Amino acid sequence: MKKALNTLGNYFKNFGIAFVKGDIWVKLSAVLMGAGYFARKQVINGIIMCLVEVLFAVLCIGYAAPNLAKFGTLGTVQFEQVFDPLTMTSTVNDYDNSFLILLNSIISLFIIFVFIVFYISNMKAVYRLQQKKENGEHINNFREDVRTMFNEKFHITLLTLPAIGIIIMNILPILVLVAVAFTNYDQQHMPPNALFTWVGWSNFKNLFTSSVTVTFGYSFKKVLVWTLEWAVLATFTTYIGGILMAKFINDKKTKLPKLWRTLFIIAIAVPQFVTLLLVRNFFADSGIVNTFCNSIGFTDFLKNIGLVPSNLSYIPFLTNPGWAKVMIIIINIWIGIPYQMLVATGVLMNIPEDQIESARIDGANPLQIFIKITMPYVLFVTGPSLITDFVKNINNFNVIYLLTQDVFVTSDQLLANSNAKEVDLLVTWLFRLTNEYYNYKMASVIGIIVFIICAAFTLITFTRTIKGDKEEEFQ
Amino acid sequence: MKKTVKFIIRHFILLFLSVIWLIPILWLFVTSFSGYKGINTSHFFPETWTLDNYAQLFFRSDSIVQYNRWFINTLVIAIFSCLISTILVLMVSYTMSKLRFAGRKGLMSFSIILNMFPGVLSMIAIYFILKTIGLTNSHLGMIIVYSAGAGLGYLICKGFMDTISVSLSEAARLEGASEAKIFWSVIIPLSKPIIVYTVINAFLAPWGDFVFAKLMLNSGVATDWTVAIGLFNMLGRSMINKYFSVFCAGGVIIAIPISILFVIMQKFYVEGITGGSVKG
Amino acid sequence: MKKKVLATLLATAMVAGCLAGCGNSDGGAASTPATDEAAPAEDTAPAEDAAPAEDAAPAEDTADSADASGSPIDTLIANTTGTVTMTVWASEEDQDLTTKLLDDFKAAYPDVTFDITLGAESESTAKDTILTDVEAAADVFAFADDQINELVQAGALQEVAAHYTYDVAAENASGAVEAATVDGKLYAYPMTADNGYFMFYDSSVFTEDDVQSLEKMVEVADAAGKKIAMDISNGWYIYAFFQGAGLELTLNDDGMTNTCTWNAAGGTDVAQSILDLTASNVFVDMGDEDMATQIAEGNVVACVNGTWRAETAAEAWGDNYAATKLPTFNVAGKDCQMSSYSGYKLVGVNPHSANLGWAMLLAEFLTNEDAQTARFEARGLGPANLAAASSDAVQSNPAIAALAAQAAYATPQRVGGNFWSPAETLGQILASGNPDGTDLQELLDTTVEGITAPVE
Repeated sequence: MKKALNTLGNYFKNFGIAFVKGDIWVKLSAVLMGAGYFARKQVINGIIMCLVEVLFAVLCIGYAAPNLAKFGTLGTVQFEQVFDPLTMTSTVNDYDNSFLILLNSIISLFIIFVFIVFYISNMKAVYRLQQKKENGEHINNFREDVRTMFNEKFHITLLTLPAIGIIIMNILPILVLVAVAFTNYDQQHMPPNALFTWVGWSNFKNLFTSSVTVTFGYSFKKVLVWTLEWAVLATFTTYIGGILMAKFINDKKTKLPKLWRTLFIIAIAVPQFVTLLLVRNFFADSGIVNTFCNSIGFTDFLKNIGLVPSNLSYIPFLTNPGWAKVMIIIINIWIGIPYQMLVATGVLMNIPEDQIESARIDGANPLQIFIKITMPYVLFVTGPSLITDFVKNINNFNVIYLLTQDVFVTSDQLLANSNAKEVDLLVTWLFRLTNEYYNYKMASVIGIIVFIICAAFTLITFTRTIKGDKEEEFQ
Repeated sequence: MKKTVKFIIRHFILLFLSVIWLIPILWLFVTSFSGYKGINTSHFFPETWTLDNYAQLFFRSDSIVQYNRWFINTLVIAIFSCLISTILVLMVSYTMSKLRFAGRKGLMSFSIILNMFPGVLSMIAIYFILKTIGLTNSHLGMIIVYSAGAGLGYLICKGFMDTISVSLSEAARLEGASEAKIFWSVIIPLSKPIIVYTVINAFLAPWGDFVFAKLMLNSGVATDWTVAIGLFNMLGRSMINKYFSVFCAGGVIIAIPISILFVIMQKFYVEGITGGSVKG
Repeated sequence: MKKKVLATLLATAMVAGCLAGCGNSDGGAASTPATDEAAPAEDTAPAEDAAPAEDAAPAEDTADSADASGSPIDTLIANTTGTVTMTVWASEEDQDLTTKLLDDFKAAYPDVTFDITLGAESESTAKDTILTDVEAAADVFAFADDQINELVQAGALQEVAAHYTYDVAAENASGAVEAATVDGKLYAYPMTADNGYFMFYDSSVFTEDDVQSLEKMVEVADAAGKKIAMDISNGWYIYAFFQGAGLELTLNDDGMTNTCTWNAAGGTDVAQSILDLTASNVFVDMGDEDMATQIAEGNVVACVNGTWRAETAAEAWGDNYAATKLPTFNVAGKDCQMSSYSGYKLVGVNPHSANLGWAMLLAEFLTNEDAQTARFEARGLGPANLAAASSDAVQSNPAIAALAAQAAYATPQRVGGNFWSPAETLGQILASGNPDGTDLQELLDTTVEGITAPVE
């Protein structure tokens, strides 16, 4: 943390130095960005910088300023429309669309931020040019500058395109939604017909308090607990299952390992939404599995031992909270194991044979070998991906949504009051809040919480791999 | 004798497991030939067999079933988005794995955290961003949705590239090759398994996604849809009893090419994942 | 071209003034724009002035030719240059019919080039797609009347401030018009009047006397080893019990929150009665899709459902297919008639439409008498149009007759968004036999708190 602050401090300090110690051209660059380049005969660079500056100015006046002016209120002019029955047309006033104001303001702020960074680094670059000239070093011409883009600065060339994509698809949407969490954007305040505005922290307060009518606090706790339970169970069951299955199939005693593997792979080659929707109908209350269980008397058996409520004539596979949770885990095992098996197959192939051999000579039985040698090795190798899987499961939308949407009805009244269900993960809950109830403000708050939880888990594991110098070990 | 028993038990277990894994798939397959359009709840196998569901998919396009168009739409979207995403992923993973520059580690941590934000939530903001540039309800927009953010998913690919020995690029560098040339002619050829892995994953995404696609392609016009929305739509409340077996037929049709792809690419896939996941 | 437009505009200006008069003297020509503004004009325009104007126009003595020269429609046609591009959403089942109607619509205005795209969007879920982005929604769309409040609130419905080809309010059943009205303003064009629910039954199992009482039906079905289905875990259906027993659920004046008295005296009796009925395991909670399969399989011999299931039931039960009003059910020893929601399907016009005028004309065209008759003939959907509904064919349709019989006990659906989740859960708890053994009064109290929760 301290280091980060220092870096930041130096960043601005260097800028200050550049400005104070620079000659007249460097100082002029503070106004006309290309000035420093013209002075060192880098005309093309100079022109490009000036163009960037002009473009920014145009953007500021034409785009950023009108939007940012309304950023404080998110608009004040309500949509109005007057219909003229004789011409059959209607006139619409010049109304404000809160969401577009928010979106455009954030894009504007982002552009301004990027420009400031660019501006500062420009000043430094110009100062460096001055120093180079003073020291009599070689100053690149434009062609040489371009060439550095494929050598020393190749990373900039490579990262520009992906970065633009990520900014549009990830960073801007996230910034917008973080902002939405502080507004009252919901079904009663939906643009274009209505305006929404800033409400401060009240949505966050709603999430952590419970009253009889506002049950978000209650639901949040319940959903969060199940989300974590699910993520742990789903990750470990498929992980262990995958390893065991890979071990079983790859064993020398198994004939035709490729055939078996292919059989299991077919199950994951069918797109998930097809298999899940299919399985949902397979286990429906009046579905084929229930017909079968009924005819062999299994349903009655379960009734007798109390696992199925006595007033039902079917097994509530996906309609009773307890049953549904178990079924979801089981179905997830069905979907997840073949995939994990593929991963584990690869890992097991690389296992150091000599260790196993020497253990066998020492008289260890296969189980001991598995626990003492195979598992630690596999765990070591796949540890990081285990965490990735865990985070993926926290956000596992498909399995829960496709299996329970339209089928599962909650029987917890407090959950119902905040549109949650027992089987909901945080993501499915927030999806339903936006998609069916247009409660964008609460969904954003939940989204931020999910984000924080996942980020925490990931940071813990990845700082280990990234910060350490293990990367070079294999190279 | 004991060995034979063990041998039989072992294969019997495998057989049993494969049956469990394949029953739903088998149900999908046989139901796709069912003469009854709704869900058959009392018999596993259809009572009447017919090819009509397939005929309906391919030859009787109407405003609900436009399978040929869906297939072409999805194929086009998948091909382009898989090309773009693969290129983006390779660019990022090479940079992160082989190049050393200031702020690299910070950037990596940042990108990992960024990737944690639930996609279903940012969806609505992405929708409006694309709407302002007029790309909703267009396949170009879908390609952007599936590929633009691909750069974030570089971890596994980077892990794989980490295992490529640094001496190779050193040698090339000594011969005076530029970084760009090293990327293109040294690293890329060696990364074949992980490229195949990335390509398959990127190619498959549009076939399985219905959430984003449903939001972006919201004109209600069936000819615009992808296979996933079209099939998902068939299981809507008012449709399921008339289209369930057609849905199954549609599912079988997309499953066939993907299964073949998977079986052929199995080797690369395994190498790709594990090469990458060794390092996470 | 310019001259022609100018001439038309002048003609419009002239005729618009006298048209009101003409309309008056003709006893209300269908083409008169009956707008709020026009209404007073009609009263003030002296009939004497109008009459000579009509005479003065040579060879223009019929109302038809009068509006041919200057009605808003003509203005619209004159003002329309280029292609009129529109999108229409109709349900999946309505595609064939709508395609045909669209062709007729194009033929009715041969001077205009149309590019109309027909999309499939189920009436019951139209709201979900429309509200996500109102501006991107279709120009003309069909939806179920329960969504009208939310759609109006989101500004997704153009007020029907004027009508051009037929009198929307006068030619449709009053219930349908009421369902399309919010705060005294008409917002949609009634399309069908059959979106409510009633009882289907297999007359080989039940006699006409049996179906008078739910308890009796349960008894008979039990003896036959069959089931009676109803989607109890659904706010829309469970309303039938509570409303039937005289408890209330209404929308407050703010248009968002509800008033609900389900937990008042007698509420627990209704809950107990539902518990008793479902305990038999003959009267079962079942979703619509399942019901369709179970009817076809022969397990369900009676169900509470709507006209959309008529086909399934008629196919499965053949000549024994019958439908009637909902039965009575026993609340604390007293027989109460089950109530229901009367439902309508409506057509709405998107105010953000680029071709608002054409969208309104198309909406009228899709809901006029001919269209409603055609819709009944093609799909058996009950017309909201009075003239179309009075035909013999409509009157003799069992499902529609049952709806008509139920109409006396049905109420229009006016309920705020907070109703659905709590009511659904109440239904789920009762249908599964109150597994936690929660005190019924407490159960209802929590439900009512959820239903009446304030909307921020």
